[in-house]
Amino acid sequence: MTSGQTTGDAERDSGLRQTAARTAGSAAAALAQLVGGLGTAFLALPVLLCVAFTAAASLVGAGLLLAPATLRALHALAARERARLARWGPEPAAPDDPPTRLRPALADPTTRRELRWLVRHATSGLLLGLCGLVLPVAAVRDISFPLWWRLVPADATSTSLGVGTAESWPDALAVVLLGLGWAAVVLGLTPGMARLQANPGRRLLTAGPEADLSLRVAELAATRAAALDAHATELRRIERSLHDGAQNRLVTVTVLLGAARRMASGDPAGADELLERAQSAAEQALAELRSVARGILPPVLADRGLAGALAGLAADCAVPCRIDVDVPERCAASVEATAYFAVAEGLTNVAKHSGAHQAVVTVRSSGGRLRLRVEDDGRGGAEAALHGGASGAGGGSGLTGIRRRIAAHDGDFSLSSPLGGPTTLEVELPCGS
Amino acid sequence: MRIVMAEDDPLLREGLALLLRAESMDVVATAGTAEEALAAIDAHEPDVAVLDVRMPPTHTDEGIVAAVEARRRRPGLAVLVLSAYVEQTFATELLTSGVAGLGYLLKERVGRVEEFMDALRRVAGGGTAIDPEVVAQLFTSSRDSRLERLSPREGDVLALMAEGMGNAAIAERLVVTEGAVHKHIRSIFAKLDLSPTDRVDRRVAAVLRYLEGVRRLA
Repeated sequence: MTSGQTTGDAERDSGLRQTAARTAGSAAAALAQLVGGLGTAFLALPVLLCVAFTAAASLVGAGLLLAPATLRALHALAARERARLARWGPEPAAPDDPPTRLRPALADPTTRRELRWLVRHATSGLLLGLCGLVLPVAAVRDISFPLWWRLVPADATSTSLGVGTAESWPDALAVVLLGLGWAAVVLGLTPGMARLQANPGRRLLTAGPEADLSLRVAELAATRAAALDAHATELRRIERSLHDGAQNRLVTVTVLLGAARRMASGDPAGADELLERAQSAAEQALAELRSVARGILPPVLADRGLAGALAGLAADCAVPCRIDVDVPERCAASVEATAYFAVAEGLTNVAKHSGAHQAVVTVRSSGGRLRLRVEDDGRGGAEAALHGGASGAGGGSGLTGIRRRIAAHDGDFSLSSPLGGPTTLEVELPCGS
Repeated sequence: MRIVMAEDDPLLREGLALLLRAESMDVVATAGTAEEALAAIDAHEPDVAVLDVRMPPTHTDEGIVAAVEARRRRPGLAVLVLSAYVEQTFATELLTSGVAGLGYLLKERVGRVEEFMDALRRVAGGGTAIDPEVVAQLFTSSRDSRLERLSPREGDVLALMAEGMGNAAIAERLVVTEGAVHKHIRSIFAKLDLSPTDRVDRRVAAVLRYLEGVRRLA
């Protein structure tokens, strides 16, 4: 029983630890977000003043000259905020470039939405950002208060609220309580505050409802075109590997057989050698057919799922490779096939070009997205190959194909491979079909 | 017979060279690309150029383009084009430059060594060698209504004529007498409105008649 209880305690302990770590983590992220927002809010304030000044000056005519510069500043700031928001969540779909001339700008919905955002961000956004900066400082100051309050002059020992002065140990301990309160506020409220600060931007800086739809249509059309393109490329690849690969092998077989037959009566030894070559050409044809069929849809995926299939790839890889797959459910077959080929291409490049001692493949799924990462400790430089070799048959062409395939699934592909290494290939795919 | 051969697949290139040399042909140069082939043709002035259709860089019609170019540089050069599959646009592109000394065969025909050597010699001698598959496709897609008047047997004979065969060879292939072949050919000329008074080679004219139809299609 005791041991059972101990296990229960340990579980509860680890559960508590996890909750604590999560809370602290999200508070830290929220603080970083708030302070980041403070940056753009500090910029928003002068821009807001400029806008106000330009508007006022426009009444007497002089502001008309200032309008383009002011509008440009507004758009630049809005773009900066969009980029910042993209780092902390889904990227706000940027509307088309808004006008910088006064008359069209007055009628432009994007500009109006940006102005509404500007007012909010320069005021409440700024305040929330300041809170994000001041709260943790206050918490640290007050909690550590007993450690240093005797060392500073008496008039500097006021509480962080600025009310009352600590003059005795009980006072100091009360300040610690206040500090703990600040810490609780930081842990409990900052995520909400960060959302509050980001909200106007997320709502107003995306393209408006009327523009939104056309953008989405354009996006979908592009994705669909990419899908068709990838499909056509895929068919062309299959056709080519059949005609130039397997078929050429078979033609070689018939040529060698034909020659062998002509030689059979006069030179049996020579004929036998030709037959030997014909046989090996036939075997190569079979191998090519297998690889073409496998390239269309690897049977191992259907049999063993993504984890099993990737383990097979790792076992075949010349470089020692660790596979870490944690994907609870199956994804669409085409997505799994794409993931499989991305890893296969990644590992092929690791084995061929990187000179690495080991590679790690990590696959995770969350929020309906499948994330894969192939890392090695090799010499890097694959980015250059990707850009330089896109048209040739070099190491890059395989990756180019993979990238197209991923784009067809509306996925993301990124390759980081500085000279000297290491190389990291990251792929993100939507799990659905 | 001096031959320049271009084929991008190294194994097949080696196999072809081996077969041709075993047939005591003089393979003076082999090439892996159309450019190399053209350079080799300029350098060696062969009797025949044997060209693969699909070669680097695009693996589409490099061999056809090279054949047309080689014949532009050296009119009358005999060229035998080998193709992985029958593509009419290739055939018509090739044949618009004239049918003399031209061949267009499916790759696998090479394995029937005797027939292949026949075709090669015919092309080198200024004749024609068109793959039966090509001829069949040309037939089905031809829009010349006069061709529809031909009986199936006459169609076969015309097809073999288009492949570049003489009467004796046609008789042998169809297992009939040469006299029967003569009769069929006269009937073909009549149905295609080729009168004996015309000052043209009616044989070539008959073949051209449906190649024309395809050319109009293309």
